[in-house]
Amino acid sequence: MKRLLSIALSTLLLSSSLSVQAVSSTQDSIKNSVEDSKGTFSIDYVPKRIVVLELSFVDALAAVGVSPVGIADDKDPERILKEIRKEIGDWTSVGTRSQPSLETISALKPDLIIADISRHEGVYADLQKIAPTLILPSRRATYEENLHATAIIGKAIGKDKEMQARLKKHAQIMADFAKQLPEGKEVQFGVARDDALFLHTADSYAGGVIRALGLKNANTGRSDDAYRQTSLEQFLAVNPDYFIVGNYVTPSIVDKWKNEPLWSVLKAAKNHHIYSVNPNTWSRCRGIISAETMGQDLIKVFNANK
Amino acid sequence: MATRSLPILLLALLGLLIANLMFGAVSIPFKSILEGFQVGNANYFTVHEYRFPRTILAMLVGAMMALAGALVQGVIRNPLASPDVLGVSHGAGLAAVFYMTFFPDADIRWLPAVALIGSLIAALMLWWLCGQHSSTIKLAITGVALAALYASCIDFLMLVKPLEINNALLWLTGSLWGRGWNQLSMLLPWLLLIPFALWLAKPLNLIHLGDDSAISLGIKANKLRLASLAIAVGLTASCVAICGPIGFLGLVAPHLTRKLVGGRHQILLPSTMLVGAILLLLADLVARTIDPPIELPAGIMTAIIGAPYFLWLLLRTK
Repeated sequence: MKRLLSIALSTLLLSSSLSVQAVSSTQDSIKNSVEDSKGTFSIDYVPKRIVVLELSFVDALAAVGVSPVGIADDKDPERILKEIRKEIGDWTSVGTRSQPSLETISALKPDLIIADISRHEGVYADLQKIAPTLILPSRRATYEENLHATAIIGKAIGKDKEMQARLKKHAQIMADFAKQLPEGKEVQFGVARDDALFLHTADSYAGGVIRALGLKNANTGRSDDAYRQTSLEQFLAVNPDYFIVGNYVTPSIVDKWKNEPLWSVLKAAKNHHIYSVNPNTWSRCRGIISAETMGQDLIKVFNANK
Repeated sequence: MATRSLPILLLALLGLLIANLMFGAVSIPFKSILEGFQVGNANYFTVHEYRFPRTILAMLVGAMMALAGALVQGVIRNPLASPDVLGVSHGAGLAAVFYMTFFPDADIRWLPAVALIGSLIAALMLWWLCGQHSSTIKLAITGVALAALYASCIDFLMLVKPLEINNALLWLTGSLWGRGWNQLSMLLPWLLLIPFALWLAKPLNLIHLGDDSAISLGIKANKLRLASLAIAVGLTASCVAICGPIGFLGLVAPHLTRKLVGGRHQILLPSTMLVGAILLLLADLVARTIDPPIELPAGIMTAIIGAPYFLWLLLRTK
């Protein structure tokens, strides 16, 4: 057994030294260098087969019309926005976002992998053995960080100009939406599960989108977390003007709370300012296309209210 | 009995080793596996970089956890005993969850070291509370109490920081996902404990006769207990640090083995390593192939296989 292992280990060493030589001997025809979460990432070709391990990266690729060959979609295509699904066509699922199948990724023979620093740092070395890996923040990223990561992806895939144009258009779209929305209204988004309500605070992605649309985040008290689990009483203390809820299940905890006397004291409940949206778009997707969808959702909310 | 079981166990182990290399999200025929060990082959990553180290790791971790279980059951002389009653895996779990919730941006590569330190502190804590001369029952009960304390701290941390629950839960179930050559090399030095454990086989037989008889036969019962438990702690701590606390393995494997080969430790200890390796290889194979490309944590599979078997065992012994 030990001999087998030592043979295997030595072949590993040999192979890694060989691959280092192979990388250094390639000529710099086109070279795109970007800063990712692990330092400088360079690529000297335009990647054709991209595998992405978080949903926000799908959004970034779709924004410039690039289709990934593999997505960690938790084996549920519905997790990708309908608009984006139409744009990118078919893909292969590479499993869950938390534990993507490295075998499936390897079988797709990608020439670029885009991974999330929060989820995939532990397998970064393995991913690099499969293909050059760009590692960026996605989970826990704010709206601004997401825009920054999107720009980096554009540059890394050789579509810098297109991506910059798309980001400019995005800023324009968001500004147009902001004009249609009442300025400075207090809007709070939260996702409701069967047994818990999580408010997305000012530090969350949704909180950033709400601000970008010229609206205001409700004061959720402690600001150390992007998501804050809230009881009904704590929620009453937050007491937002508008409450946007994404129900992961129905009936969710919010549906149960609706029968409680405390609920009727809420400003949003009294004025009928509670709206439900797709939690997937608002919480999981995180990207410029989903931010625009969120903007449209809010316009619908405020128009219904006129 | 033993002579009949051993060849079957070895064959099963060999079969599972090959099956683990062949099957997964993508099936690779046997012939291509051998080619997959060559650099530059299309299957090189899957076979040599991914499945091979993971398979070897599953074999070693399974064997080591089962061996630790047999040692603990040997000295505590209680069929319900397992490395879990030492609080080692819960100590590792607490350290790991603490690290993940309070330092979410810290480098994940330190996680095994943190978990290892946590489990060793838990073992020292138990030793400090019980000392060298207390009875095995006191040791077991203190260990269980400490484990419950660590478990409640883990729950508290996860309730306070719900955002990190996913990562923490995944780690706490025990998984072989993403473990490869690096983790294998971390485990290698701990293999040195195995010969020491096997060397204890003979005195462990005598301690089964009861402390008085063992002492009159020239066994230093306290020293033997301390040595066995220390080795069990080392084996468990190293495995848990790398794969997370894979449940039921240390409990079920020695039981199953005792059914197959009897209670003589000279045969029991090596056979239980075989059984442990077989169980974890099987668990990881099923976890990877049940719904590809979804990868379930192997710890879920060992619990699914282990818990009903254990219940059946309990009902039958009645």
